[in-house]
Amino acid sequence: MQRNGRGGFAALFLLSLAALMLAISLAVSIGEIVIPLQTIAEAIANRIFGASFAIKPVHEGVIWDYRLSRALVAASSGAALAVTGAILQALLRNPLAEPYVLGISAGASTGAVAVMILNLGSGVLTLSAGAFLGAVAAFSLVSLLAAGAGGGTDRIILAGVAGSQLFNALTSYIVTTSANAEQARGVMFWLLGSLGGVRWPDVFLVAPVAGGGFLICMFHARALDAFTFGTDSAAALGIPVNRVRLILVGLTAVMTAAVVSIVGSIGFVGLVIPHAARFLVGPAHRRILPATALIGAIFMVLADIVSRTIIPQQVLPIGVVTALFGAPAFAFILYKARRPV
Amino acid sequence: MSNNLDFRRYLLHFAFAALAVCGISASAFAAPTAYPLTITNCGRSVTFEKAPERVVSVGQAMTEILLSLGLADRITGTAVWFSPVLKPFEAENNKIKRLADNDPSFESVVETDPELVTAEFEWHVGPNGSVGTYDQFSKVGINSYVAPADCAAKDNATGGDGVRKEMLKTEVIYREIAELAAIFNVQDRGEALIARLKEREAKAIASVARVKVKDIPVIFWFSSKEINGEAFMAGRNGAPAYIMQALGAKNVITTNEEWPLVGWETVAGLDPAIIVIAGMDRRRYAADDPAVKLEFLKTDPVASKIDAVERKHLVVMDSQAMSPSIRLVDGIETLAEAIRQFGLVQ
Repeated sequence: MQRNGRGGFAALFLLSLAALMLAISLAVSIGEIVIPLQTIAEAIANRIFGASFAIKPVHEGVIWDYRLSRALVAASSGAALAVTGAILQALLRNPLAEPYVLGISAGASTGAVAVMILNLGSGVLTLSAGAFLGAVAAFSLVSLLAAGAGGGTDRIILAGVAGSQLFNALTSYIVTTSANAEQARGVMFWLLGSLGGVRWPDVFLVAPVAGGGFLICMFHARALDAFTFGTDSAAALGIPVNRVRLILVGLTAVMTAAVVSIVGSIGFVGLVIPHAARFLVGPAHRRILPATALIGAIFMVLADIVSRTIIPQQVLPIGVVTALFGAPAFAFILYKARRPV
Repeated sequence: MSNNLDFRRYLLHFAFAALAVCGISASAFAAPTAYPLTITNCGRSVTFEKAPERVVSVGQAMTEILLSLGLADRITGTAVWFSPVLKPFEAENNKIKRLADNDPSFESVVETDPELVTAEFEWHVGPNGSVGTYDQFSKVGINSYVAPADCAAKDNATGGDGVRKEMLKTEVIYREIAELAAIFNVQDRGEALIARLKEREAKAIASVARVKVKDIPVIFWFSSKEINGEAFMAGRNGAPAYIMQALGAKNVITTNEEWPLVGWETVAGLDPAIIVIAGMDRRRYAADDPAVKLEFLKTDPVASKIDAVERKHLVVMDSQAMSPSIRLVDGIETLAEAIRQFGLVQ
């Protein structure tokens, strides 16, 4: 394991990039309709290079409008969620921090549902804007709670639990009071996350947010390193602590909101992936961040393939798949992070 | 060979129709109910000492059966409504107290002092009923009756809308009508209603007895949470599956879930010849509005290329006709009419 070798890291990076490409290719080739690889290549050539291969319009639509856009949204969401997890873990100096655990996803869901069902903002507010406001509200509330409880890394997780419960309750309240009788249990399903309805416009929202967010984080990689030793150490190193914190927390809210508004609330990706990345490339954020983004993207694309194909003719919410893998990993991290008695 | 089969089916339909006509003439001679009446309902035995004077009905389909049996004056409260009540019952229904649009609370049911609570769904009144359990109701002296359609071979222990182990048939609706008629001592009305429904069902089935192609592949789209997202399609054993089977069509979806979520790639791959879309007044999910569904089918890059969409083989059917209710026969008539209109009958 060449944790610190520059050459080792570069090799690992290229390998991950290739793995991501492979995962996306798999996602485009696997599905209910069996389409030959040649047709897939022809369909993509038709759309990108304006070629004119004769293929069934249904096939071309499925490959370009369904599978490829879906795979790209999955990759972007996975990267965004994983990177937000890495930022929060550094900022809060807590190995268990991530948007889902801290209630940010729950807040974003509440905001999105409020816009969707209550018509809050009467058409002016988009789903993403609603999700963003909800995310900010939840994070502010959780931060205030944690600070009020005397701060400290454990408090923020407890505050996150309280915040999650509160916002989930609000969401349930909105759903049950303003929904009709049938399938009142059904809206909750959306909250488990689903990539079913994504199309190209969603790619153009999530991909820039994920990419831009990643670049801004890379710019703050050194600051994030400093934060892991505490705010005092960061300040001593000449880092404008409050400004950086504000930028990064805002960025976390934007990224979480973009993902939640498009694919629903998906847990555990932000929690587990940064740990996997740290394990592979060591503690420096200029390495952790690209590794986290790539592994997150790969994980999400693969999870989506599983969710689409595990039950014939039916779709499992992707949140179920990520939780199935994520919950045991969460337990493992807890165990690793245990204090010596 | 196939002609011979067709002819036999034709004879069968004729026999059905004849039976239905006999049913009407026999209905005047229905005997009154002998109390105490004990029936098996959803795996337990329920006894009635007399015809209930006061009943709370939880579930629109259940309420509409009670109204069809002329029992409006005995209903002290209703709940769980999906769409407006059947037109002929509007005036009567407006006089009845609506406890809630969705799940009523246990106390609001008890408050109207009923002798019986009837429910369309086991998850409202049942072993784990959200409104109340059998025990909770019997402790306060209230009998309970649940639609056999919801518990006969249906597993409501899983999430979602439940899983059916065997196909729902109109027979179970007729059984429910007969049981309710017996409970309330209005057997003659029950028999007349069943006879009318059976006659309509037989007529609709006979009207498409000579289809050009066996097993026309059909799909029923109820709604979707996001318009571009996966769709709630009718599973293999629900009311829509019976409509399809009765008319010699085939449901292309083969899962036991009542309303599984199905991706549009799957639908395109299954290539249905007819797409039935649900019409409803509910506006909760993005695709509840049938106009929105039609627009999606016209504009989506994949769905618009499905054969059924290109040929405009699209039918709008009332969502209540896709559920275990007396409107199921309307559903059979609607799809039969569509099959004839699309020129799929010889």
